[in-house]
Amino acid sequence: MIERRDPLPSPPLSSPIGRVVATEQKPATPHQFHFWTANETSIGIGAIVRVEGLGAGDSGRVVYGVVTDGFAYSDLATPLHDVVGAQGDPAKAAASPTVRQEIRLWTAAVLRQTPEEPLQPVPLGQVHVATDVDVAQALRMDAYLGGAQPTAIPVGLYTSGGLEAPVYVDADFLLGPEAAHLNISGVSGLATKTSAVEFLLSSIFQHFPPHKGRVAAVCFNVKGPDLCFLDRPGTLDDEDRRRYQRLGVAPEPFQQVRYFAPFKADGVNLNTLRTHPDLVGEVEPLVWGLREVLDYAEVLLNRDDIDAKADAFIDFLADRVVDKEFEDGFGGAHRVVTFADLERLFRSIFDGLELASRGGDSWRTHHIATMRKVRNRLANISTRCKGLVTDDGPSNDLPWGRFADRTVYVVDVANVDPLGQDLVFARVVSQLRERLERRDLGVEAVVVFVDELNKYAPADGPETYVKKMLLDISERGRYLGLVLFGAEQFRSQVHRRVVGNAGTAVFGRMDADELATPGYQVLSPATKIKLATLPIGELMVRHPHFTQPIFVRFPRPAVLRGRDGVERYPPAADLPFEDAVARQLLKLDRRVRPNQVKDLIADRREEDVRRALAHTRQTRPQDALAHFKKQLGGRVAAVPAAARESVPPLNAISDEPY
Amino acid sequence: MTLRGSWVEAVVAAGAVPASHVPDASLGRGDVEEFTGADPVEAGELRVEPLSDARPLAPAAVCFLDGIEQWRVVGYGGITPIVRAHVAAAVRQRGPDRRLRTVAEATEDVAITRLDRLPAGVRRALEAAGVRVLEFPAEEAGQPARALAAARVEVQKTRTALERRLGEAGLRALAADEWLVVDGVLSDSAALSEHTRALGVVKSHGAQYFEGAELERALTLPDGHRTSVFRPRARGARRDIYSWYVRLWPWEGNDLLYGLLRLEARAHPETIALASPIAAWMRAERAPVATPDRRWDRLLYPIHDVETYLRARAPSDLTSHPASRIPNPGSRFPRTAS
Repeated sequence: MIERRDPLPSPPLSSPIGRVVATEQKPATPHQFHFWTANETSIGIGAIVRVEGLGAGDSGRVVYGVVTDGFAYSDLATPLHDVVGAQGDPAKAAASPTVRQEIRLWTAAVLRQTPEEPLQPVPLGQVHVATDVDVAQALRMDAYLGGAQPTAIPVGLYTSGGLEAPVYVDADFLLGPEAAHLNISGVSGLATKTSAVEFLLSSIFQHFPPHKGRVAAVCFNVKGPDLCFLDRPGTLDDEDRRRYQRLGVAPEPFQQVRYFAPFKADGVNLNTLRTHPDLVGEVEPLVWGLREVLDYAEVLLNRDDIDAKADAFIDFLADRVVDKEFEDGFGGAHRVVTFADLERLFRSIFDGLELASRGGDSWRTHHIATMRKVRNRLANISTRCKGLVTDDGPSNDLPWGRFADRTVYVVDVANVDPLGQDLVFARVVSQLRERLERRDLGVEAVVVFVDELNKYAPADGPETYVKKMLLDISERGRYLGLVLFGAEQFRSQVHRRVVGNAGTAVFGRMDADELATPGYQVLSPATKIKLATLPIGELMVRHPHFTQPIFVRFPRPAVLRGRDGVERYPPAADLPFEDAVARQLLKLDRRVRPNQVKDLIADRREEDVRRALAHTRQTRPQDALAHFKKQLGGRVAAVPAAARESVPPLNAISDEPY
Repeated sequence: MTLRGSWVEAVVAAGAVPASHVPDASLGRGDVEEFTGADPVEAGELRVEPLSDARPLAPAAVCFLDGIEQWRVVGYGGITPIVRAHVAAAVRQRGPDRRLRTVAEATEDVAITRLDRLPAGVRRALEAAGVRVLEFPAEEAGQPARALAAARVEVQKTRTALERRLGEAGLRALAADEWLVVDGVLSDSAALSEHTRALGVVKSHGAQYFEGAELERALTLPDGHRTSVFRPRARGARRDIYSWYVRLWPWEGNDLLYGLLRLEARAHPETIALASPIAAWMRAERAPVATPDRRWDRLLYPIHDVETYLRARAPSDLTSHPASRIPNPGSRFPRTAS
């Protein structure tokens, strides 16, 4: 019986691309298997494959796996035999008339088996490239893609061998309550981390299930102009648009974005890179007063400062002094509302203690040294964070209780002193938490995006207030709807409880040194190599539904990149004090004429002007200029001091030398 | 353990005593060990020709033909062995991409025994099993050892016939510039021994064609040389053929036969003109070396590849893998883990 066969043609798409093999040394297990393919194959690391059991007892069993490693070898017994065959000349080795038999052997980790029970070793069956449906099955996405209340949120496209399939994460596991938080790590400079978060936020806003309520995002811009142009359209190419279309996400910038930035030290120019005249009007100042700061005084205290005495004194100030009528015990009555009022109180106390001069070094049981320390720290914040913290005048804050659905709140603290950044972060997150607990924030879920997480929640270092807060969000935030999206360059340098509680982990291109740390031991060497060379726009995603990490591609975010934004909307130079005041009033009331403002504030003290401006901004009256004028008060003419009449001495000074 | 569903199971069920024995000889082929003589063709006596100036023949495509045989004693009817044999042959074609692909293959499974020496029940079972039964001569059936040797000859004949059939079919499919390289002699087949682009590559040297100084010249042929072309004297049914030796690797420090090939091509004046280009071509086939086969000094890699291909497709129960922990099929000894 003679069979005639022609040379093998290229297999059509539906043909198997490989076959599972198992030996005693490399057996198939319920969690891993090996298969070979033709030398020319579309399979690569990260590819998803489907194995069909055809043998006895395996019929109907389907196993999905993701390729984690690859091997190639020939039938060459030892390298020496190649040398012998080529007679020591490498050029001749390539000229041999026959190419040795080679193998492409792949190792795959099991993603899913159907049926799930009984869990058995992978059958030695045919291997097929996964289709869209297979990918959904393999990643268990079928559980949340369909049904009455689907919770799928597109995260990117799985691509392999010309096939492409959308990958979704489960909103219940990304934004709570089942699991929550996302951590993204990758080397700096590729804009992958920020881009990924921007795309994902856009995807969340467009696909957040209605039954889960309203969602908003608070993004802390901690460096450069990264998040300053989220409402401006960016440049997309056809491939990006195709990917958006494939993922079912509209390629458009965020519809509702509110920007908050503190002032610079002058108190009137905003401390942000979004100061182009066309955009600066949309930036709201972030200004806090004594009350806002005192509630988070612990943030300002370093490890050496933390003691019961300082805590007690700060509590005393917060409970008994601030915003209350208060007598200092030395005859003075105070109503402390601002830092300036507090400073007056401290002076009064210190003067009173000094005048008492009976060796008294305590006031209301608080030692003078403790009081001086607290005074220094509080004064320090108003100096180092001038612009954020006002010495005088009212504050301007995020719209607590009025958060809007599908709105991004960008808090730009990129140019703020690190102490100020900590303060902003601590206060904003605390407020979010408190209001989410009380259900009076305005939305049911908030995504908090923090870049440079290794700075705020380092793996080692002191237990700061901010770190404790991040740990608290990580461990309890999912019940509240408070979700942390953290980004950092080195995941190993972030506190393990923070990254460990992130249900979803995303990895961009990684540094080889970082990949050598213990946290990446579960990855195969090939996966690590792929991670070390990931192109821009490709990520590895771990999600509770995926039993193995999956590589996905995502389109460029449809918003203007920070760098491009700064070029298209170059930041304006700081305005002179008068112009800056006029512009802010103009923002409140279009009828205001700059010259009127300039005339009004000429020769007035800047503190008074700032206070009047802050009050006007907070009140938002119909007639901004009239309100500002009223707050500014009447001009008091300077009255020269009357000349004193000299009083002659009782006894004229004699000419005597003694 | 017998082979479920096979004819072996049927004869065992009919009363044959199951057996499991793989004779050493089943793993390779025997060789004729005799002196036959040869007539010089290219020169008056056997000469040594250098190949340094020879330009290797470089056909666009080459087909390589080889076969394998595997057999096992699966049972005894009385003292008469019942042998199960598997023979296979394949042609693998090497094209411009230098990779080998199977273009033709054939296999055959046979039972070898002496039917009239088997118990009636066993014989009936075997005859009804649907397997082709070959019989060794009656005079060899008395002693099991001689019976096995005779069975081996039957296996070899079956394989050779299969190879010849596949080779002759392969010749008809050869393209204009395509050669067929056969592992072994061409002279068994009229079609092969007369074809213009068929080449036999013989690596066993049981048959000697020379004596004295000529034999010494042949067996001490230096590396990179060939002998002049000669015509082996006809043996039995063998056809007229031209032949010459070529040395692939230096034999000094190894053995006289190390790297020594004998080539066969049609008996035609053109063969003399092609002797050096063909010899140079064979030397070019040294790479890649056919390791880990211990005959790698003479075994061309493409032939090794055909053999590997056939062995990979052969029934796995016919040979015991050296590292196998599985007890021999049919063994009545207690089975242990190692």
